[in-house]
Amino acid sequence: MNPTLVGFFFRSHPSPARHVLTQQAWPMRQHGAPASNDDAMTESLWTLVTSPWTLSPNTLLGAAVLAVLAALAGEAVWRLWRWPRLVGYGLVGTVLALSGNSAGGNEPALRLAIDGALALLLFEAGARLKLRWLARNPWLLATSVAEALLTGIAVFVLLQSLGLPTEACTPLAIVSVCVSPAVLQRVVGELHAAGQVTERLLALAALNTLYAVLAMKLLSAGLLLSDPRTWLEALSPVLFSFCGSILLGAALGEGLALIARRFDLREDNGVVLLLGAVLLALVVAKTLQLSALLVPLLAGIWLANRSERPWVWPRHFGSAGSVLVLVMFVAVGSAWTVEALSSAASVALGLVAVRALAKALVVVAFARPSGLGMGQAACLSISLTPLSATAWVLALDFAARHPAASVQFMPVLLASLALLELLAPLAVMVGLRAAGEVDAQPLHGRAA
Amino acid sequence: MPLGEFAPSRAFTLGVELELQIVNRHDYDLAPGAADLLRLTGKRKLAADVKPEITSSMIETSTGVCERHRDVITQLLEVRDALVEDAGKLNLRLAGGGTHAFQDWSRRRIFDTPRFKQVSQLYGYLSKQFTVFGQHVHIGCTGPDEALWLLHAMSRFVPHAIALSASSPFVQGTDTGFQSARLNSVFAFPLSGRSPFHLTWESFKVYFEKMRRTGVVDSMKDFYWDIRPKPEYGTIEIRVMDTPLTVERAAAIAAYLQCVARWLAKERPFEPQEDDYLAYTYNRFQACRFGLDGEVVDPITAVHRPLRELIRETIDAVEMHAIELHAERGLMLLKDTLSLEHGTDAAWLRAAQERERYLPEVVRQQCLRFEGVAP
Repeated sequence: MNPTLVGFFFRSHPSPARHVLTQQAWPMRQHGAPASNDDAMTESLWTLVTSPWTLSPNTLLGAAVLAVLAALAGEAVWRLWRWPRLVGYGLVGTVLALSGNSAGGNEPALRLAIDGALALLLFEAGARLKLRWLARNPWLLATSVAEALLTGIAVFVLLQSLGLPTEACTPLAIVSVCVSPAVLQRVVGELHAAGQVTERLLALAALNTLYAVLAMKLLSAGLLLSDPRTWLEALSPVLFSFCGSILLGAALGEGLALIARRFDLREDNGVVLLLGAVLLALVVAKTLQLSALLVPLLAGIWLANRSERPWVWPRHFGSAGSVLVLVMFVAVGSAWTVEALSSAASVALGLVAVRALAKALVVVAFARPSGLGMGQAACLSISLTPLSATAWVLALDFAARHPAASVQFMPVLLASLALLELLAPLAVMVGLRAAGEVDAQPLHGRAA
Repeated sequence: MPLGEFAPSRAFTLGVELELQIVNRHDYDLAPGAADLLRLTGKRKLAADVKPEITSSMIETSTGVCERHRDVITQLLEVRDALVEDAGKLNLRLAGGGTHAFQDWSRRRIFDTPRFKQVSQLYGYLSKQFTVFGQHVHIGCTGPDEALWLLHAMSRFVPHAIALSASSPFVQGTDTGFQSARLNSVFAFPLSGRSPFHLTWESFKVYFEKMRRTGVVDSMKDFYWDIRPKPEYGTIEIRVMDTPLTVERAAAIAAYLQCVARWLAKERPFEPQEDDYLAYTYNRFQACRFGLDGEVVDPITAVHRPLRELIRETIDAVEMHAIELHAERGLMLLKDTLSLEHGTDAAWLRAAQERERYLPEVVRQQCLRFEGVAP
């Protein structure tokens, strides 16, 4: 999505701010713009207030039109075919990508929305993961570890055999491990899916996202530390980032548990508290250069597992969260470019196929001992396809730190995202429907 | 399907069926886990049986034929522990209680068998609203006429059973003010309530055939009476109880009904008559609404008395039979319930909600209580 499209945000940020947010710590300022731009920003904001707006896509108009289009497309696919609305958001993104308006992931305001949406979704994903379940059903833990390992290894071997250099294979292999909790949360929520396949799908996705984020951090740290010239300087930031992310995640989870006990999180006021706390933690994480993925995910896991008390809040924290999530899915849907797809389509196709196969093999092999029927295992395998915002953000962050490797792996990743963007939500839907875990809803009108 | 012959069974043998709630561990709403749970539990060798129920978030367990209270409790504890362990593997949990405190009935799914689908088509939303959880107690009878006599004699004790088992104060997220709100959903069915007054199998057969000819019913299963004869088992089935929060209470209530049945049959303290039913629905309402504090009326003497007192008297009256049947431990548990002001399960649930003000947490504690972990 180029700056013209969500123009309102970008206009207020002169171009030097563009890459700052992804590559550096956020300064603790309201708009995340560097100090030198303060005057320019105040001025442009002032102009926004006092003078009449020009009708060009470069203003709020672009963002508003996109939101309306995405909502309409989402509703259309839902009404016509009972497909998840997410597919509609992806369609708008696809049109953007095809028309050459891909989101680069480096525009500050857009990145802010994506990080915010991801933080909310990862927090929710973490809060669904009950670690005690893994203790009661060790075969599930075994499934999770084995599918992550096999996926990573299989993708790595495939990419190497296709001639990609190791420094591009490794991040791609790690990114392939994670199944997008964002897509799953959204589709499961929309279809009101419930049952064993749904439960396991969410648990496996939360776990493999955790593995992938940790592995990516390790890889990034390893690359920095392996350089004899820089390792000493790199050591303390690496340690700080690693431990800090875990500590901040735990602190957020614990803090929320203590405060939220006195709130009913199903009510608006409680949701605002939750939303504010998660976004606050995101700001702190960005400021201290901690992982914006790890912190909310761990916070969710901590909250769900520190005591058995159930926590219930509206999906994606109500409507504010839903807007962020919509923006995120449109952006991710438009992340790829036609050039990337045409240059890396075959490699990406191989990656997607091997990834799906590896996950399916493990899920089916471990189905019986973990208490799953064979049919359910097949449904679960089909549903484990989404590769979305988490993968994209992981790759973007890695690319920002290791620009040399990114030239090799970014096109493959973007092509894979393009392949799965529309297919994956449908695969999840098909899997959950086949498992009989979706409420029957009439095609026209509201559910009875 | 014709009525069939009444297969006699040993007098005062017991069978207990419990319908249990399957909930998730995330927000403690009902979860469609019956098929998964059956797949796991089906691999075990258990004295009790485990079956699906009409919606996929219920499961039913039933004991085999038991002689004593102790057999019932042994079988129920065994099957409970097995179910709890298997549910744990599936990230599910089980709870007692006559209703789920906050489930949305429109979200329930009908378990996939031809009979359940057919019932669901006939009754529509009623069948989904029927996501309520009851305890049924079978009492063995030596012959059909004995069974019908006992059935009508037991009708005076229906309010006792309701008050002792009441565990459904919350429905769809609100406190109904009832101790047992579950029965209100049962009453919506056209063939629910008392059974017609027939004291001989011959006349009952005539009634059944007349009903069958109308096409309204096909088998005994289509009657949702509070107490109904079960000819193929050779029992009468008392169906008014909520599933208690613990299997211990379920076994104790079964023991109470067993003792009352033996006392009635052996001592014949009164003869059942049609007039017993004059105040039947009123008394049943009192028990549902106020539990042990409900006042029931004796239709013959017109005396109003609190159920708590009547149950205490009955326990004393059946004492000799309790000794014969080795049921003392069960009755002891019920006596404790009577002596405490908030001893019933409904009171326990209300106290938990008073403390937590959060129904998902109440359901979680309900699970702990069923598992035998919480006091």
